[in-house]
Amino acid sequence: MSYKAPEELKNFQRIALGVGGIGTLALLIGGLISPEMREQALRSWLLGFVFWGGISIGSLGILLLQYLTGGAWGVIIRRIVEASSRTLTLVAVMFIPILLGASTIYEWTHPEKADETLKRILDHRAPYLNLPAWIARAVIYFGLWFLMVYLLNKWSKQMDETGDWKLLKKASQFSGPAMVFFVLLVSFASIDWVMTLDPHFYSTIWGFLFAAGWGLASYAFTIAVLAWLSTREPMNQVIGRRHFHDLGKLLLAFVMVWAYFNFSQFLIIWSGNLPEETFWYLERMEGGWGIIGVILIVFHFAFPFVVLLSRDVKRNARWLASIAIFIIVMRFVDLYYIIGPSPRVTLHGAKLSFSESISWMDFVGPLAVGGLWLWYFFGELQKRPLVPVNDPFLESAIEHGKSH
Amino acid sequence: MSEKKLYGIMAEFDTPTELVDAARRVRDAGYTKTDAFSPFPIHEIDEALGIRRSILPFLVFGGGVLGLLTGLGLQYYTHVIDYPIIVGGRPHFSLPAFIPPAYELTILFASFTAVFGMLFLNGLPMPYHPVFNVPRFALASRDKFFLLIERRDPKFEYEETRKFMESLNPQEVFDVEE
Repeated sequence: MSYKAPEELKNFQRIALGVGGIGTLALLIGGLISPEMREQALRSWLLGFVFWGGISIGSLGILLLQYLTGGAWGVIIRRIVEASSRTLTLVAVMFIPILLGASTIYEWTHPEKADETLKRILDHRAPYLNLPAWIARAVIYFGLWFLMVYLLNKWSKQMDETGDWKLLKKASQFSGPAMVFFVLLVSFASIDWVMTLDPHFYSTIWGFLFAAGWGLASYAFTIAVLAWLSTREPMNQVIGRRHFHDLGKLLLAFVMVWAYFNFSQFLIIWSGNLPEETFWYLERMEGGWGIIGVILIVFHFAFPFVVLLSRDVKRNARWLASIAIFIIVMRFVDLYYIIGPSPRVTLHGAKLSFSESISWMDFVGPLAVGGLWLWYFFGELQKRPLVPVNDPFLESAIEHGKSH
Repeated sequence: MSEKKLYGIMAEFDTPTELVDAARRVRDAGYTKTDAFSPFPIHEIDEALGIRRSILPFLVFGGGVLGLLTGLGLQYYTHVIDYPIIVGGRPHFSLPAFIPPAYELTILFASFTAVFGMLFLNGLPMPYHPVFNVPRFALASRDKFFLLIERRDPKFEYEETRKFMESLNPQEVFDVEE
């Protein structure tokens, strides 16, 4: 069997490229209208970047994880997460607008305009939080992630060609220490790129919110892709109900971990009750933002949690994929809830209410980045067989899905 | 048939495949109070014998909900009704602070329900079982496979059931006494 990807992916690529191209163009034109619009366009691009870039980075994490744990689920999804991880090249390119526009969206890049309190905070953080250091760190993050993506994909390809089983051991041994660095990089990167949007705020669990959020998004995305592939040749020969059952269990765990970290941050800030921390939640509990917060508790946690308890839902590819896509949408809402209320540079650090904040660009941004991202992803997915053909556990992994 | 009371009729097979085939025919013949014994788990046997899914998951869910309510109720009673004192300037009913203990009790009650519910539904602990009266049954933990139809099965008719069991091509058919 050749395990070649279905031809329809080529059509998907065309559509995705069209959406991505038009979206990017719309953001560009919108961004030229005024400084406020330019900031909005870049913020929306950042929203898309954090969302889709998170799927690339999160997929790298899942790739490391499945090499560490082993098991049928990892063998079955390996080629999809590998393809997602290889989109990191495009994600690095899509970081360039944020790099160039850092002074447009990050208030901390303008210490001269800061008021007394903020000035003191920024002076204190200046040795770490300054533009050259911020850029240098971004280069390090991407560099190390690239190294991991490159090595794991190289070994996996070599195993396809040579059938040398030692490569699997090599990948597993690499994944242990790499996982430690991976989580540290996610923590630093998410603090640099997202948390510093609000220079007043700090939270030490921030990195874990993103490790869990990006992991959840990429995992849900992988399930959705796998469910679609399982309706077509050749993967309908490979995937069984029990694979989805296993994947669904881990999806439930990811949903819980996301909620656990978020609640941890909330509980600690709520208990401490210090004004330099509580403002972050107080702003997000007012008016429209408060409604979004309730939506997140109910639909990012409670609803998927209860539904995913059911064995029948987890074993049904269509239902599981629907829940996965629902979670992906909620990931977007969660990121908007984090990014949206942060201060605006053009308004000298003022913050906007939900109705003032929401812009057409917040929808176009993720669509633009997402279109380009999916175009690249579907291209990568077609490059290699859809399963690791020479993996020593492939046969038993396929057999596993067919049993009860 | 001896003087003692009959518990059921048991057939012995050499291979798991024969056991599963026989189980299917027993199920198709309409028997419901049946059981199969094997030295190792056979995935197909549940379906072959027509064993319905356990109600345990629903009990565990119920246990979890009960744990959650107990956790919240306990804290509400102690902090708001029985001994209200102000801690750190927070209201008596402080939901965020109540969540971790309520969560712990949810897990505790759910896991207790899972363990003890499993034992209860399996009828465990059970130090004695009539199948042990058949000396060859000891081989069920080595290399033989057994299929049992209990006497309390509504379709059970001694002569007929025994003949039916013999038609399944077993190594041997035994009467199992209480």
